[in-house]
Amino acid sequence: MSILSPEQKAIQQAAKDFVAKYIIPNAAEYDKSGEFPMLLLEASKPSNIFAMAVPKEYGGLNYDAVTQALVLEEWGYGCAGMGTTLAASVLSMDSVLIAGTDEQKRRYFKPMLNAEIGSFGLTEPGAGSDAAAGKATAVKKGDEYILNGTKCWITNGGFASVYVIFALTDPAAGVKGISAFILERGLPGFTIGTTDHKLGIRASNTVELLLKDVHVPAANLLGKEGDGMKIAMKTLDMARPAIAALSVGLAQRALDTCVAQVHARFPGKPYPGQTLQFKLADMQIKVEAARDCLHQAMRLRDVGSPYSKESAICKTFCSDVAMQVTTTAVSLMGSYGYTSALGKYMRDSKIMQIYEGTNQIQRLVISRAVLAHPPAPAPSAAQKAGK
Amino acid sequence: MNFELTEEQQLIGQSARDFAKEYLEPIAVELDHSGEFPKEAVKALAKHDFLGLLLPDDVGGAAAGFVSYVEVIEDLSRYSAAVASIVNNHMIAAYSIQQWGTADQKKQYLPGMAKGEILGGFAIYEHGPTPGVGADALVATKHDVGYVLNGKKAYVRNAGEASVYVVFATTDAAAGEKTWAAFLLPADAVGVKVGEKLETMGLRGCPVADITFENVILPETALLGTVNQGVAISAKALAIASVAEAAQTVGIGQAAVEHAAAYAKQRVQFGKPVATLQAIQTLLAEVATDCHLARLGLRNAALLIEEGKPFEVEAAMVKSFLVRLGSKMLIDTCQVEGGFGYSESMPLPRMFRDIAGTNLLDAPGDFPEKLIAASIA
Amino acid sequence: MPKCLVCYKWTLDEQDIKIRPEDLSLDSSRAKGKISDFDRNAIEEATLLVEKNGGAVDALTYGTAAVKKSLKDALSRGPGKVYWVADAGAEAADANVISNILAASIRKLGPYDLILCGEGSSDLFNQQTAPRLAALLGLPCLSFVQKLSVEGDVVSATRKLEECQEDVTVKGSVVISVLSEINKPRIPTLKQVLGAGKKPNEEIKIAELGLKPEDLQPKAMRKSVKGFVMQRKNVIYKETSGADNVAKLKVSLASEGLC
Repeated sequence: MSILSPEQKAIQQAAKDFVAKYIIPNAAEYDKSGEFPMLLLEASKPSNIFAMAVPKEYGGLNYDAVTQALVLEEWGYGCAGMGTTLAASVLSMDSVLIAGTDEQKRRYFKPMLNAEIGSFGLTEPGAGSDAAAGKATAVKKGDEYILNGTKCWITNGGFASVYVIFALTDPAAGVKGISAFILERGLPGFTIGTTDHKLGIRASNTVELLLKDVHVPAANLLGKEGDGMKIAMKTLDMARPAIAALSVGLAQRALDTCVAQVHARFPGKPYPGQTLQFKLADMQIKVEAARDCLHQAMRLRDVGSPYSKESAICKTFCSDVAMQVTTTAVSLMGSYGYTSALGKYMRDSKIMQIYEGTNQIQRLVISRAVLAHPPAPAPSAAQKAGK
Repeated sequence: MNFELTEEQQLIGQSARDFAKEYLEPIAVELDHSGEFPKEAVKALAKHDFLGLLLPDDVGGAAAGFVSYVEVIEDLSRYSAAVASIVNNHMIAAYSIQQWGTADQKKQYLPGMAKGEILGGFAIYEHGPTPGVGADALVATKHDVGYVLNGKKAYVRNAGEASVYVVFATTDAAAGEKTWAAFLLPADAVGVKVGEKLETMGLRGCPVADITFENVILPETALLGTVNQGVAISAKALAIASVAEAAQTVGIGQAAVEHAAAYAKQRVQFGKPVATLQAIQTLLAEVATDCHLARLGLRNAALLIEEGKPFEVEAAMVKSFLVRLGSKMLIDTCQVEGGFGYSESMPLPRMFRDIAGTNLLDAPGDFPEKLIAASIA
Repeated sequence: MPKCLVCYKWTLDEQDIKIRPEDLSLDSSRAKGKISDFDRNAIEEATLLVEKNGGAVDALTYGTAAVKKSLKDALSRGPGKVYWVADAGAEAADANVISNILAASIRKLGPYDLILCGEGSSDLFNQQTAPRLAALLGLPCLSFVQKLSVEGDVVSATRKLEECQEDVTVKGSVVISVLSEINKPRIPTLKQVLGAGKKPNEEIKIAELGLKPEDLQPKAMRKSVKGFVMQRKNVIYKETSGADNVAKLKVSLASEGLC
């Protein structure tokens, strides 16, 4: 991991304390009920954590990328479902950050300062990995757009105040005809559909959003008409590492749980043999490498370097690590693993490989980056001889 | 060498599949939600001779052999791995009595077990570091009336529903596991307390609980095998159980890959069914391959068991393979189905939770690799 | 105490057959065999009758050498004995040849009180076997039977016809073809499966049947079998209003006589 500044260490510790107080003691209950953890929003107000990505001039904390990763790792450590609530809210505000006017930023960052949350509405039943296949429409009428369509698998949808919704302003133009809009909760015609009951991250709210003749002021268009897919892709680039951070937290939690269980089971004999020890060592290797990979991508972002490929790499690697580590943890800890929170960590991990761009899409991005520039050919003998 | 099942084995498999489709498919989702023991399904299993599959016909069993057994378990697991768990845990108890029981013990329990009137359980694990060691270890102290048992058994499957448990206790707390003895414990013996049912990640419907023993008196006649035979019995029984468990893994994996393939053929993204994408083909192919190879491995082990030949190494190999690749079958098929593979309104999440319960390393420090390595080095 | 004979066909399981997209030909290389669906109902019905009234059930099948794989399957479902005729000619046999062979076998083995068949086979569904057998054996034929009972020498049946139900009784021997709604074939228990191997089976050689060469010559020749793939019409109605689209759909459906 990065060598942290004193400020980053303090923020990390504050996050650890928050998680220990509000998340860890409640995680099992919310996982069981699938209820949205309202308590989290209330408890977050003093720290303003839901505004951690909001620039200072709008009242936010303006945490750099590494710091955001530290916070999300702690939330992922506590409960990946609750962590997803934070991550998805930050994701939606990233769109505003990327494409919003000063007025839009002022207006829509404000709720975040009061621990209200945002929601990012891109996916549709027929548009998953093929995000450009979305069918929701936005027809311009005077100084309004009329939106129609259905969005699904939308995190925070049932509880957000602010939504970033993608719809076609020009269906004939295909992907170049998609635009992004900011919608406020409660707009007539904008309703919440069914809630999905999931395998994991059950504390995270996942719903359908239904748009029927929703009148959205033209001032709520983000960027220009047709900018939608560009905004979405840039947003996901920025937000992808959040999933990596949640994954690192998850994996670390599973590992820590195994270590505690090993100590409990073999008191006084914490080195119970190479087979078990080496599996723990492999878990440690993966978690540390995952964290380092994530932090490297975040450092690149913080210094303003391009980091699209690294963003894809860390999302893929960290989520794959979480899946491997939590799976090994359940099996290794036997029936204890199967009847304890280790099962939750394994269930929570699975979604990390799927949402915010499946790991297959990530590999497309990465492979294109890898193959785009063939390595320079080795110098010929003549060149080597300086001729 | 013939890799095909015999005609009977194929017909048995067909019966098991038809049974599972009729009796298990309609209850699988509700069973997973409620976790309540599926009494009716178990009765139906008994009627179709599945609970007495391995038992000889003189006690009312079907004597169908172990290859048929794993075929049945695989087929049941395609629809409800939880029910297959109930059958497996019952089977291992019945098998133990059949192998090591006295004539009287067999007469007392096996006819009822073949008919499903007596359900079996197998109480072997403990919370301590090694079996027979630690504060809670189950200790059997010799007594004039037989043995007195005190301690605790952990994670017993079919707990609370079984009428008889095969229980392992140490007769010498200092020597631990080495002096294990096996007992046949009637569930209603005085001092036996089945603990609260534990919440399991999956295989819900097969109850799991700890069992506490407070001065439980068992007569000499309850001893299974000789007083020092516990280790040998448990080792062989667990090896058999691991092959049966592997059949669950393969059944779940097979059902998952078929579901994911059907999904991929109709899910259109980027203008084509996702089944045409190499990424999806890779995921499906790897799962289908691992499932197929595991099936061949477990059938081989099952045949060795049926023929009374040494099989422990082959069984350990299958276990080792599935510890590494069993859960991957569901990790990958859920991946194929994307968001739908994460929604509990679809079957894959339940299978994901179930399959993780079929490759647990419960015996501490006793990884399958140890036995495999010992056989070659 | 009826003496029953059930005729069954060993067919390919259509679930395992793949249609080659290039020419719609069938790939049955991985197809397993099964007892034709309606024949299973016939076997089940005969077994139920005999369980109720006493008597015996024999099974009879004609096909290629593959029928040997069907014997235990059939016996596990209730019949006490199975007779089989295996001949390569079965591949191309038409309804005429099939019923000649079955009728000759029945003359050899019989007489029987009830001869049961499925209404049609899973693969070709000619629905000709039962009526032809009845004609060749000089017996009455009851087809489309969905309910059957026997009291002494009187057979009562309910036939399911398109517009109505018909209750019929027959005194004496009869040929019956059954529909799938008549019963739910049992799932053989393990003991029934394993017990099948202990029941007798007997081969009947065609040469023993006293048939003339022209009796064994198919008159209807099957040229090819192609898969049927449902072609979607792919018509999209793109009017701006939903009501207009529905109106257009209505016109289209009406022109096809669908509404």
